[in-house]
Amino acid sequence: MEHQNKSSALQLGLLVFCSLAVLTAVEFVLAITINIWQFLILIALIKAGLVVYYYMHISRLFEADVDTNHESYAYKLSTNRIGLWLFLLSDLFIFGGLLLSRINLLGLTRPELGQLLGLAVTSILLISSFFANRAEISMEYGDRRQFLTCISATIVLGILFLVGVVGVEWRLAPFGPGDNIESAVFFVMTGFHAFHVLTGVVFLVIVLRNGIHGHYSAEKHWAVEASVVYWHFVDLVWFFFYPALYLIGTIAQ
Amino acid sequence: MRKFFSIGLVRGLIWQMVGTALGIGILTGIRLLIGLPVWKAESAFVFGALLGAIFFLYGVGVLDDWIKVASGKEIPEHIEKSTLGWRRYFGVSLDHKVIGIQYLTLALVLMAVGGTFALIFRSELTETGMQFLTLMEYNTLMSLHGMVMIVGILIGIAAFMNYLVPMLIGARDMAFPRLNAFAFWLAVPAGIILLSSMALGGFDTGWTGYPPLSARAPIGMQMFFLGVSLAGFSTILGSLNIIVTVIRLRAPGMIPFRMPIFIWASIATSIISLTATQLIGLSFQMVMFQRLFGMGFFDPGKGGNPILFQHLFWFYSHPAVYVFVLPGLGLISEMLPVFARKPLFGYKWVAISSIAIALIGFLVWGHHMFASGMAEYLRVPFMYSTLLVAVPTGVKFFSWLGTLWRGKITYETPMLFLLAGIVVFLFGGLTGPPNATVSTDLHLTDTYFIVGHFHDTMFGGYVFPFFAGIYYWFPKMTGRRLNEKLGKLQFWLMAPAFIVLSLVMMKVGMLGMRRRIADYDPALQFVDENQIMTIAAFLIALGVLIFFINVYWSIQKGDVATGNIWNSRSPEWQVPSPMPVHNYKIPFVVVGEPYDYGLPGSVYVKFQEDPLHGTSK
Repeated sequence: MEHQNKSSALQLGLLVFCSLAVLTAVEFVLAITINIWQFLILIALIKAGLVVYYYMHISRLFEADVDTNHESYAYKLSTNRIGLWLFLLSDLFIFGGLLLSRINLLGLTRPELGQLLGLAVTSILLISSFFANRAEISMEYGDRRQFLTCISATIVLGILFLVGVVGVEWRLAPFGPGDNIESAVFFVMTGFHAFHVLTGVVFLVIVLRNGIHGHYSAEKHWAVEASVVYWHFVDLVWFFFYPALYLIGTIAQ
Repeated sequence: MRKFFSIGLVRGLIWQMVGTALGIGILTGIRLLIGLPVWKAESAFVFGALLGAIFFLYGVGVLDDWIKVASGKEIPEHIEKSTLGWRRYFGVSLDHKVIGIQYLTLALVLMAVGGTFALIFRSELTETGMQFLTLMEYNTLMSLHGMVMIVGILIGIAAFMNYLVPMLIGARDMAFPRLNAFAFWLAVPAGIILLSSMALGGFDTGWTGYPPLSARAPIGMQMFFLGVSLAGFSTILGSLNIIVTVIRLRAPGMIPFRMPIFIWASIATSIISLTATQLIGLSFQMVMFQRLFGMGFFDPGKGGNPILFQHLFWFYSHPAVYVFVLPGLGLISEMLPVFARKPLFGYKWVAISSIAIALIGFLVWGHHMFASGMAEYLRVPFMYSTLLVAVPTGVKFFSWLGTLWRGKITYETPMLFLLAGIVVFLFGGLTGPPNATVSTDLHLTDTYFIVGHFHDTMFGGYVFPFFAGIYYWFPKMTGRRLNEKLGKLQFWLMAPAFIVLSLVMMKVGMLGMRRRIADYDPALQFVDENQIMTIAAFLIALGVLIFFINVYWSIQKGDVATGNIWNSRSPEWQVPSPMPVHNYKIPFVVVGEPYDYGLPGSVYVKFQEDPLHGTSK
């Protein structure tokens, strides 16, 4: 019975990932063909909704407490969840501020960037989110081997994303940070996001290390859940930053 | 000597110095390696200051437990770092009451520093012409007065919220005690970095730091930005903790509409500082990047937009004034029924009004920008949204008047400060609508009228309730009372002097005295008024000095007060002072309304046993 629950959870994760991948592809095709920004925003919102509900499990915040003793593990776990989500809410304001600044400064123009490279790094981050989800489900059902494999895959893909953005994209970009307003917006948005990816990778590495030492169990694995939710959040931000930087509007002259 | 170095604060400061030097060295080394000109003071100092702050946190020991968790070691659920005596206030403690007093001390230190800055430049303004300050010194002191006071106020609020919230809701401690300690200790290097701007050339923008001026001010500007960003991060984490604590750790029976008003106010405040603070951080960091990397966000020459900075800045900085006053107004509502011996009038409306002020506060930032050149059609909606704030604020005033009406009022020192707070906040409130109305604001903007207005709101909404709170809860912290005679002397020096100060400020403002100026023309004929203001400022300072003397004296020799000296219904007064570690040995249940003073037979909280006498009821 438990085995069945696990495989259906994994299947759901795969299904969500496929939908996200299709949506990303549709977004890209729409952008290079008809390029109507309202569609791009709509797709980004749908993707965000899928991640928030299926990968980040927002509904867990509203579950009733099984144990009302303030010192019990279950009660503290729910408390921790609220704390994490409030932190993400706070973080959302800094990313929202960046997005609004980009709209104010650039309007319907975008920096001169290779759209295929953008699609490549976006895909890498999306796949890493898929593995992060798999890692969490594995831990939930006590499958430590699969958990370690998946979390390692997430870390590798996360580092690959960082290399893609900071190592490749920042070098390939035909401008430096101080050249014009488009470049300033590009570097500050990717920079803030890359910093969050970096912290996410650090958290995941700590979780991997403690996981190898067997510190987590099917019942107690808050650190796994927290780092994975944070990872999905970083991915969610990129759902909006990617179209804002690579897809919307025309290249600024 | 060894004992000296075992104090957390000392270790932290040493580590901060090491970190700063190391940061400067590393950055210079990197520049050497990649072939840039070796010495660039600005980036070296910024990186040094940032690394210094991180080293401080490590040195003081607040990261120890997290490092243990990260390396897979077990940490106990509740640690008593059981250094007792005064030393525990200078090192890491996880007890919310100790952290509250640490915050309180830091707030008083910062506000004394900020007040001293004001006295210095206020003396300069006594006469026309420049007496003893250069223009840059004047600008630096004036700007730092603003921001040091703001950071001091934020920390003072954190002090009251930390000390009171778990106590009032019957919790053992905050939801995340380690995060709580981290948030406090982050504020210390933030304050140091902010003040270090004086040593690095100062800055001349006022507390708002608008570009393009802030993009070319001396290096001190960067320290200002960095210090405020770190202090902001500390506030964010602190308010996160408050919200989670209130949601999760209330005593049984404390449904939302039986929470004390101060809890409602803390929640309203924390909602703002949890979210909006990110945007002042973002705006400051964008100017930092503009200066460090030449990114042109606010540089019109590169296609940037200086007005964008003002939008981001005021999106936090207007709601921030509600962050400053809401806890103070909550304190007024909290204590007023105790001294009037009557139920709080319209409890539910007061509770909701705090939340309403906070939420409307997100929609009003544009009223600071009527004269900035932003799109004109934005003026009208911002004018109306701002005027709307007067409605929930009016609810509070109505409630206070209703509470005082026919009450059996006694005039102890806390009550005097509460009444002064109400009166002064009324002045501040009534002078708000003229600034919110576009037509009058275009005349009043950037004059001393504005200065008078916001000093009234800050003193009425924060300073006077803050002192009232200290006089009221000092016995809970120490087991001794502050001296009443000195308290009354402080009050009668401060309150009248402040009222004179702010009214004269508004008068010269209407006559055309610009704010932030270092000098004025004698032909404008407000030399006399400036002299009155300077004298009033020194009288306020004398009052504060007496307060410090009072604290110093009363900690050692004040009247012993361990019982319920104010005859309050609140749970923290039902147990002996000073409050024991982990608050309530015997948990309580909320069975009635919090403020039903004077109603026969009404009960708010019920302990299983009588904690004062140990007999069961």
